[in-house]
Amino acid sequence: MPGLAPAKAAELDFASLVRRHQAMVYSIAWHILRDRAVAEELAQDVFLSLHQHLADLESPEHVQFWLRRVASNRALDVARRRQRRPMLSLESVPEPAAMSQAGDPLLGAALRKLVAALPPKPRAIVVLRYQEDLDPAEIARVLDIPVGTVKSQLQRALALLRGKLARSMGEIRI
Amino acid sequence: MNLEDELRSALRRRDPPPDFTARVLKSVAPRSARRPVRPWVGWLGALAASLLLAAGDLGYRHYQGERAKAEVLQAIHIAASKLNVAQKKVQMISHRSNS
Amino acid sequence: MKAAGLLIGCLLFAAAAPAQQVKWNVEKLAARASNNVDIELNGSLLRLATGFLSDTDKDEAQAKKLISGLKGIYVKNLEFKQPGEYSEADLKGFRASLRAPDWTRIVGVHSTEEGENVEVYIKNEGKSIAGLAIIATEPKELTLVNIVGNIDLDALSDLGGQLGIPNVTVDKKK
Repeated sequence: MPGLAPAKAAELDFASLVRRHQAMVYSIAWHILRDRAVAEELAQDVFLSLHQHLADLESPEHVQFWLRRVASNRALDVARRRQRRPMLSLESVPEPAAMSQAGDPLLGAALRKLVAALPPKPRAIVVLRYQEDLDPAEIARVLDIPVGTVKSQLQRALALLRGKLARSMGEIRI
Repeated sequence: MNLEDELRSALRRRDPPPDFTARVLKSVAPRSARRPVRPWVGWLGALAASLLLAAGDLGYRHYQGERAKAEVLQAIHIAASKLNVAQKKVQMISHRSNS
Repeated sequence: MKAAGLLIGCLLFAAAAPAQQVKWNVEKLAARASNNVDIELNGSLLRLATGFLSDTDKDEAQAKKLISGLKGIYVKNLEFKQPGEYSEADLKGFRASLRAPDWTRIVGVHSTEEGENVEVYIKNEGKSIAGLAIIATEPKELTLVNIVGNIDLDALSDLGGQLGIPNVTVDKKK
């Protein structure tokens, strides 16, 4: 890449970027949309865009930030369009059957379903927080929303999820 | 049980299908590859290039198709719900005038 | 002919003559909207969507049947934070595109209780329907629908109870 040191050029080699970040991009799309086919195509679309914009990105960290931002916002865009279709609200998602084991795969599946029933923005916030381990300030930058909004929506989403699970599992401590 | 830990576990990253990288690279290849085309196979080269482009575009086309499908369903939902409001009113008027 | 019969009668006829999309300019209103759905599906996008609608899923199969042969579906749905964001003058402008002799208003209903109005127009080409337009207003919501082509109103109405659309039933008073 012109103007870049060879090491940087190698780092920003497109194929290696795809391999390094494909799980992140695909998982953001899948956890927000809960549709593997659309998530795959969205992820592919994101990387096509990356290829077009690669020259504008300055560092590996910038690439990662850019990918998270584009993937999240495009997935949110699709989720919002789908939201107008009748979808299960969080309240109507049945509570998971009683489980006692942490790390239980059934609990994991139930949690993913509950997260998928959140409205699009809180859903994206929860995904970025717990899939990507971003703090509220970082989430705010990715989604371009105020930090206060991230914190309050995250709190409300967790309270909702906690409530649903608590009814089947008893007291849950965070 | 800790909800945050469970969420981290439930929402951990997963790999896309094994051929994902290949498909992405294939879809960008026609734009970045420099293929020398010998003059006497010029028309074959053009055909191959257009087939490659078509193959590369398939992934994006699938995304467009899924998106169009979602929009069709949403549009029908909106149109039918408004028609239903009108229909309900008309039926009420009909029943009132018949009773 | 009773108004109900006009609306719910089966209107499938032979393929219509080429019809035009109604051009509604909602830019200024959209700028004031808190939520804006803008769907523009021309003939080729509808054909593309047809290939992705499932034959085995009941909702999608019905939708597939409904859109086959259509030339376009255009929907604008604007939600506002407060009432009064659009005016009667705006509505007059939208209605101006739906004038006789091309267009016929077949239904106009008004609910004083809910403040909800719905006007349904059809475009005739001989004995065929070449288009459908709906203008639906609520205090904080404006919806404009234009379907270009031979739309089966019966089938569209039949979607009541599916796609999450509430079934229209009227209690017969005894």
